[in-house]
Amino acid sequence: MAELQIVVCVKVVPKPEEIRVDPETHLLERTNARSEINPPDMNAMEMALSMKDRYGGRISLLSMGPPFFEPNLRVALAMGADHIYLLSDPAFAGADTLATTYTLVQGIRKIGDVDVILCGEESSDGATGQVPPGLAEWLNIPQLTLLTDVSIDQTLRTARGRREIKGGYEILEVPLPCVISVKTACNEPRFMDYRLRSWALEKDRLTVWDAGDLDAEPGHIGLTGSPTIVTGLAEAPYRERRREFLQGSPGEVVQELAGILRKEVEV
Amino acid sequence: MADFEQATDEEVLLIDDELWEQLIELTDGAAALCFQCGVCTAICPWGLVRQKPLSVRTLMRQAQLGLQEKNGSLWLCTTCAQCEAYCPRGVNIVDVFRSLRTVAWENRNPEKGLPSLMWSIFWNDNPWSQPPTQRALWANNLDIPIFNPQEHEVMLYIGCTSSYDQRAQKIASALVHILRGAGVEFGFLGEEEPCCGEAVLSVGHKHYFEEVAAKTAQVFQERGVTQMVTISPHCYDVFRNHYPPFSNGFQPLHYTQYLFNLISEGRLQFMKPLDLQVTFQDPCYLGRINQEYQAPREILKSIPGVELVEMENSAEDALCCGGGGGRMWLETPIGERFSDLRVEQAVQTGADILAAACPFCVACLEDSLKVRKTENFEVRDIAEIAARAL
Ligand SMILES: Cc1cc2nc3c(=O)[nH]c(=O)nc-3n(C[C@H](O)[C@H](O)[C@H](O)COP(=O)(O)OP(=O)(O)OC[C@H]3O[C@@H](n4cnc5c(N)ncnc54)[C@H](O)[C@@H]3O)c2cc1C
Ligand code: SF4
Ligand code: SF4
Repeated sequence: MAELQIVVCVKVVPKPEEIRVDPETHLLERTNARSEINPPDMNAMEMALSMKDRYGGRISLLSMGPPFFEPNLRVALAMGADHIYLLSDPAFAGADTLATTYTLVQGIRKIGDVDVILCGEESSDGATGQVPPGLAEWLNIPQLTLLTDVSIDQTLRTARGRREIKGGYEILEVPLPCVISVKTACNEPRFMDYRLRSWALEKDRLTVWDAGDLDAEPGHIGLTGSPTIVTGLAEAPYRERRREFLQGSPGEVVQELAGILRKEVEV
Repeated sequence: MADFEQATDEEVLLIDDELWEQLIELTDGAAALCFQCGVCTAICPWGLVRQKPLSVRTLMRQAQLGLQEKNGSLWLCTTCAQCEAYCPRGVNIVDVFRSLRTVAWENRNPEKGLPSLMWSIFWNDNPWSQPPTQRALWANNLDIPIFNPQEHEVMLYIGCTSSYDQRAQKIASALVHILRGAGVEFGFLGEEEPCCGEAVLSVGHKHYFEEVAAKTAQVFQERGVTQMVTISPHCYDVFRNHYPPFSNGFQPLHYTQYLFNLISEGRLQFMKPLDLQVTFQDPCYLGRINQEYQAPREILKSIPGVELVEMENSAEDALCCGGGGGRMWLETPIGERFSDLRVEQAVQTGADILAAACPFCVACLEDSLKVRKTENFEVRDIAEIAARAL
């Protein structure tokens, strides 16, 4: 039996509270924002790693983005993955979800013989949730979205997943290869394995592919490949947490909370 | 074999030579001294709150043999060092616990919730999952200058808990007022203040701690920090005892030590009488672990009208609040909290105030006090009491 080939799509995002909308240009101002791994992708990572724990196999991290993604991708690698593929080319800039998924799919094709493609539920910046279904469409393979758990049958070549629904859960089964999106916060992502920390920083652990490497059709990538038109952008006020903790018996806490709600939001 | 399995309901444990060697290396052979008398188990405060005590002796035995601990009791230890004070063989029990935890991390077997704690420190530079950009919000109205070695005698290290926890922020503000009252020239690092890594160390992630400590020590060096005052005894301990391999000569003091020095030098005086009976909770990381029992008491005694009364277990024998060793980030069920017992002891003294000198102690003790619903009794940090007497 061939070893299980897992791809995890990882996006590096700015810390949400550090992004500002430029009041003049209405463009996102993220140059000063710290980056992090898109938190839902950490849950996808954990699912991939527990799959590898159970069945063995190889985990490739796949990301489309500028070179500054690299240090954070190496953090994800040190959790226990095997290799990073960074799709990076100025020509990819301005991609909407259509062009993003096309580019990622070219990467997946180039990696080759992939059995399972794992994604986070959505990104914390773009937040469309369209990438996982988009990948499945381009590849014309099945998708299982918002799973909290998954098992693989390598003999039958199927993936069986569990998804929470209103009032219960459903079990879904599809043939491999397939795309899976992972429900945010469904697991606790393991911390980096420090025996891998310096290994993950080695040069050879990362492969960068540009548009030429991917044989990408110029009309499908970047701004040109993106039919979406952004007509406006508005800044939602950042909500500062007050970090007030109510104390006392459950009864007292409920009463106090009800009081606060009545006063502050007039329910 | 089948008979053997029936004869015991305990899991069969296998001796692991590699683990044994690793433990010897990590602990410098600390557990080897143990002769299994069991005093540690008898002393450990878990025995006061649980039917089944924390079998410290068993864990020391496992460390000697290189056995893997399987039942999770490894994460109960608050690293209070009460047991060490009584161990007839002088075993560095806390070190052994931390090393067993290091091994548990390497075997990918940490307590649930602790990986998230590590990630919070990694992404946010604080263990409270709070945005790093909001670290100095608490000080917005205080106009504290950013530390400048040319202008300031000390750098005030606020610490993550006093930066983000609303209750602990009051301790930080009180200390700022006292330092100003004494005319001390000081600054802080504001939003750029790095995490000391104490939470990482105490849950035993040795390798990540080394990374945090190296990074943080470098920030202090770049900023020209030589004299530092901390609010939490946990930060103080980690800087004093665990940074030396990484740091280049900055000297940390706990704020009670610094204030005591100011009092001795005549720079700090309390004018306003308070007319209070106060009892004092020795924080483990100030008292037992760093042997500082005098400074906090002297501050209290120098406030006119304050009478210090001691609790049943005080100084070397002080009962831990339950917040050390990473326990601040793990759930302790009601009925198993050391701080409930401590508040009881404090109330028994007839004092008006239970004073502490640590944000963790204040949080744990205040929680217990709220559950107990005692009137006319408060938990306050020494800084808060002292600020009232300026
Ligand atoms: C600053 C900025 C400007 C933008 N400008 C435009 C624009 O001009 N026009 C437009 O149409 N859209 C624009 N977008 C949206 C952009 O197209 C999407 O961010 C991108 O296509 C991915 O979609 P998403 O973020 O909604 O991902 P989602 O579908 O919400 O993400 C789900 C999962 O897909 C995977 N994934 C998503 N993106 C990547 C990636 N790059 N690499 C690897 N895996 C990934 C991750 O696993 C993620 O958890 C912009 C976004 C940002 C942040
Ligand atoms: S008190 Fe010291 S010698 Fe006795 S069992 Fe505990 S560690 Fe061993
Ligand atoms: S350090 Fe404290 S909590 Fe830990 S075993 Fe010793 S007495 Fe118990």
